[in-house]
Amino acid sequence: MCEANVYLHRDGQEELLMESVDRIIPGEDNQIFMENIFGERRVVKARIREMELVRHRVILEAVPEEPVQRHTEIWLEPETTHGHFHPGEAVIIKLNKGYNMQADSQAELKDPKAYIVKPEGSRELELHAHHNQGEINLTEEIDGLAQIYVHEKGEQERYAAVLVEVGHHHHHGTQPIGLPLEIISTDYSHARMGENYEIQVLKNGIPLAGAEVKATYSSTKNRDYPHHLTTDETGRAKLFLTARGNYLFSVTDENIISTFTLVKSF
Amino acid sequence: MCKDMPPLEKAIQFHGHICPGLLMGVRAAEFAQKYLDIDPDQDEELLAVVETNSCGVDAIQSILGCTFGKGNLIFKDYGKNVYTIASREKRRAVRIAQKYKPQSHPDSLRYRELKRKDSLNEAESAEAENLLGAIFERLMSTPFEELFTWRDIDFSFPAKAEIYPTVQCSVCGEGVMEPRAIRNGQNYVCPDCV
Repeated sequence: MCEANVYLHRDGQEELLMESVDRIIPGEDNQIFMENIFGERRVVKARIREMELVRHRVILEAVPEEPVQRHTEIWLEPETTHGHFHPGEAVIIKLNKGYNMQADSQAELKDPKAYIVKPEGSRELELHAHHNQGEINLTEEIDGLAQIYVHEKGEQERYAAVLVEVGHHHHHGTQPIGLPLEIISTDYSHARMGENYEIQVLKNGIPLAGAEVKATYSSTKNRDYPHHLTTDETGRAKLFLTARGNYLFSVTDENIISTFTLVKSF
Repeated sequence: MCKDMPPLEKAIQFHGHICPGLLMGVRAAEFAQKYLDIDPDQDEELLAVVETNSCGVDAIQSILGCTFGKGNLIFKDYGKNVYTIASREKRRAVRIAQKYKPQSHPDSLRYRELKRKDSLNEAESAEAENLLGAIFERLMSTPFEELFTWRDIDFSFPAKAEIYPTVQCSVCGEGVMEPRAIRNGQNYVCPDCV
């Protein structure tokens, strides 16, 4: 066989993808790179179905998408478009239930409790929950920085944490809240698109190595989390930020799902 | 703006979206700032000569403040991703040229293929988003010297942009910058009406 025509088999039909292909390289994630004798190149998400060497034909078939293994999680999102609130502004934090920053209309919040953590101590907050959404009004509560978290008890324990900023503050590290499973930022103020951002996973206050941390962002068109990170021996993992808006990090261990919302200015 | 907007965000807001061409312009603009030790332009302290009208030029405009409207962005239609940035104060100029690469990365090829489509289905939209993320990380993490070459050049600084009087076109009645108008006896005619 010299060169071959490459076809894509779909719904019982064959569609010509490229003629006179002389190079086919299977890549990661079911990607196939091909190049023809004219120097044209193409990458398709498919796998090889059949190679008819005598007839100079290579037939590919599209790879069906794997079903998304979803778990339901909760997460917090401040109602601000630029990462922080100004003094005097209404400070509203939304609680959502769903997956991959997409609220699930079938999900129900089950008596979630919200707490505020300040250097002087923590206490419960009023949380108005209805169906799969909740709201916390912090307008009278904070001036400066505060960590907010929500806990939903049950067979599956769910936690959601966020750092809320009123005014402009320079803050480099946040103290762990002390949750059984928690994601913290190692340098909160340095969250810029186009740069790496580091988080750390703690289990009962101790760094959790080898944990899978999923990360997503509010504008994603992916059905499943677009990023999967693994923590190193110090429980840390880095993500290069490529999207505008807020990011969500999620980690699962035993029966606990814990999320951390990174609120970005841009 | 209550927090300093990072250069990358300035470029994205100006250009309207994130794309590989814009990111290359961001790299060039940020390099020029550091290399020449300059602040963004306020009033024509800087001058940019760009040899393309593609996406990267918007990063030069938004990050360095060399803009079409201010007159300190000079366009040479050479179709080359080359940017010369000059500082009147420092009396220095650097010419930054994107390196030619005969082979594009497969991610870039596929991304371009998707962007050429009139519409994308859900899976293709997600694929394009993920490819752009991968390209974004690669372009911003690659050492500058692998993407561009640069050299100091002798640069003769032109005078700052002049403000000319406006005259009225005798045909359409609209105002036109005097040097662009054609004199017809006592009257002026704008280029559009000639």
